Amino acid sequence: MATIKGLLKRSPDTPEAPGVHPQALWSFRPRSDREAGDAIVSNLLLHWFPSKVYKPSLDWSYSFWLGTASAALFLLLVVSGLPLLMLYVPSVERAYQSVKDIEYVVTFGWWIRAVHRISAHLMVVAVALHLVRVFLTGAYKNGVGQGQCREWNWVIGVVMLLLTLFLSFTGYLLPWDQLAFWAVTVGTNIASSIPWIGPTVRELLIGGRTIEQATLIRFYVLHCIMLPGALGVLFAYHMWRVRKDGGLAKADHEAVLANQRPVPPVASKTYTLLGVARGTAPTVKVTSVEAPDLTVSAVPDLTRRAAIVVLATFALVSILASAIPSPLEEPANALVTPNPAKAPWYFLWLQEIVTDTTIRIGSFTINGAFLGGVILPGLLITLLTVWPWLDRSSALSTGRWFPKDRRTQNAMFLALVLLVLVFTVIGMFLRGPYWNFYWPWEAWPEIPARI
Amino acid sequence: MAETPKDSAPKDRREFLWKLGTGAGVVAIAAQTVASLRSLVPNVSYDAPTTVKVGLPDEFPDGLKFLPDERLFVFREGKTFHAISAVCTHLGCTVRAEALSQPEDTTIEGQRLRLTHRFSCPCHGSRYRGDGAAVSGPAPKALAWYHLSVSPDDGQLTVDLAREVGQDFRLTLA
Repeated sequence: MATIKGLLKRSPDTPEAPGVHPQALWSFRPRSDREAGDAIVSNLLLHWFPSKVYKPSLDWSYSFWLGTASAALFLLLVVSGLPLLMLYVPSVERAYQSVKDIEYVVTFGWWIRAVHRISAHLMVVAVALHLVRVFLTGAYKNGVGQGQCREWNWVIGVVMLLLTLFLSFTGYLLPWDQLAFWAVTVGTNIASSIPWIGPTVRELLIGGRTIEQATLIRFYVLHCIMLPGALGVLFAYHMWRVRKDGGLAKADHEAVLANQRPVPPVASKTYTLLGVARGTAPTVKVTSVEAPDLTVSAVPDLTRRAAIVVLATFALVSILASAIPSPLEEPANALVTPNPAKAPWYFLWLQEIVTDTTIRIGSFTINGAFLGGVILPGLLITLLTVWPWLDRSSALSTGRWFPKDRRTQNAMFLALVLLVLVFTVIGMFLRGPYWNFYWPWEAWPEIPARI
Repeated sequence: MAETPKDSAPKDRREFLWKLGTGAGVVAIAAQTVASLRSLVPNVSYDAPTTVKVGLPDEFPDGLKFLPDERLFVFREGKTFHAISAVCTHLGCTVRAEALSQPEDTTIEGQRLRLTHRFSCPCHGSRYRGDGAAVSGPAPKALAWYHLSVSPDDGQLTVDLAREVGQDFRLTLA
C-alpha cells in the first residue's frame, strides 16, 4: 500500500536528472542546498526570492524589515477590508448608520474595523519609516552591479507612499461623519485653489459642486478598487525590481569589501543572487559575494525572518486593535463645522502649513491653500523623487548607515523630517478652538457647540 | 499596377497593414479612455438652487440671523438688510459669528454700517470683521456679500447665492 508520503517521494533508485525534483512538494526545512533551491523554484510565491541571499542583508539592524512590515499591513488591510466591503453601504443616507452597525451590532464588527483602522495608521508609519531608512542608507543608489536602476525603484516607492496616504484619506471619508465631511471640504478646496484648473479638478473629484452622493461613491470606488489595485501592481513591480537590482543595497557595499579578498570560484551554479541572469550578473563577480560562507539559502533563512516579521506585525495589530477603540464622530453635518476641526495626525503638518502660508504683498494675496497645500508639498515630493539623480556621493556609500560623504544630505533630510514632525506636534497638541495656539497646560475656552 | 517593382509590393503592404493595425488599436484605446473619463464629468447638476427664499422680512430679528442651510448671515437694521456669506474664503469651512460687546459704526464704500459681530473660522483660525473683511489668519480675501431682494409673489426675502455684490449693497424696505 502506497502512503501519501510514499507517493510524494520518488523511490531512491530513480536516477537523478536535471530538472527533476526529488519531491513533489517543496520544504520549508530543506536538508540540502538542492532542496533549498527546489523550494524557490517550485513555489509560486517564493520564486520572487533568489535561492541564495547575501547574509548581512538579512540583518535586523540594517533594514528593520520595514518594507516587509508594510507589505504585511497591506495584506491585513485587504483581508480585513473584504468583510467590511459586504457590511458597509456607500450611500450618504446609510453610510454612517452602516458603520455604526459594524461598530455596535455586527458580531466582531468592531474588531474587524479596528484591525482595518489600526493597520492603516501603522502602514502610514511603516511606509514613511521605510522611506527614511532607504534614504539614510543611500539604498536608492546603484552599487557595483551592472544594469541596476535602483533610483527608479525609489520613484516607485515615493508613488507608493503617496498612494498609501491617499488610501488613508479616502478611507476615513467613508463613515460620512463630521471628520469625513469637513476633511473632504478642506481637501477638495485645496485642489480648488490651483489657478485656472482648480475648480474643474474639484468638480471632477466630488462629481458636482456640492459634497453629496456623487462624492461618496467616487471616493468609495477609489478606496476599494483603484488605489489598492494600483498599490498592488506597484508592490509587485517594487519587489521584482529589488530582485533585478541585486537584492538589498547592503549586498553592494559588502561586495566591494569582499572583492578585496581572494575567494576560490564556486564550482557550478544555475542561480546567481539574481536568479538566472544573462551575461555578467548585475551584482558583482560571482566568485566573491556568492562565496558559500557569505550567503545563505533564502529558504529557510529569509523565509523564517519574513515569517517572524509578518507574525509580529499581526500580533502588534491584534493587541492595538483590542486596546484602542475606533472613534466615530457625529454624523456628517454640512451646517456645523466642528471647532477645532482637526485632520488625522498624518495630515496635521499640512493643516498647519496651509494655515501659516497665506502671503500678502501689498494688495496681492497668495492663498495659503495653494502655497501650503499645493506648491510646498509638490516641491517636497518633486525633490524626493529626483533626489537620487542629485545625490553625488560615491558608490561606496551605498547600503550603509551614516556614511561620511552623505553626512550633509542625511542631515538636511533629517532636518526636513524633523520639521514635518514639529508641525505635526503643534497641530496635534498645541492647537485649540479656532485653530488658536494653546500650551498643553492652558485650558481651552468654553465655546458653544452650535450657534 | 504593372510598374511597381515586384519585390517591394508585399513589403509595402505588410508595413501598411502593420501600421493600420497598430493605429486602429491605439485609436480604439484612446477613444475608450476618453469616453470613460468623459462619463465622470456630470452633465446635470443636482445641486441646490442658488436663488433661495429665506422667509418673510418680519421673521428676521434686528441684528444677525444665521441660515445654516445657505451658510449665510442675514443682517437687519430697522428696514435695511444685507447678507454676508459664512463660507471661509481660505478652505471653505463655516465661520462662526461672535457678538461684539460694543457695536461700532463705520462707513464702508460711502455707506454707514453698524458692526455688531465678528467672525472666526474653526478650521485654520481666519478672523473677519463684521463687514466680512479678513483681519488675520490665512483667509486671502473678504467674505462674500450676496444680493438680496423681495420676492414679488409672496414678499419673502430672496437671496441669490450666485450673485456677489459690493459692500455698499443694502436692501431697504419701503
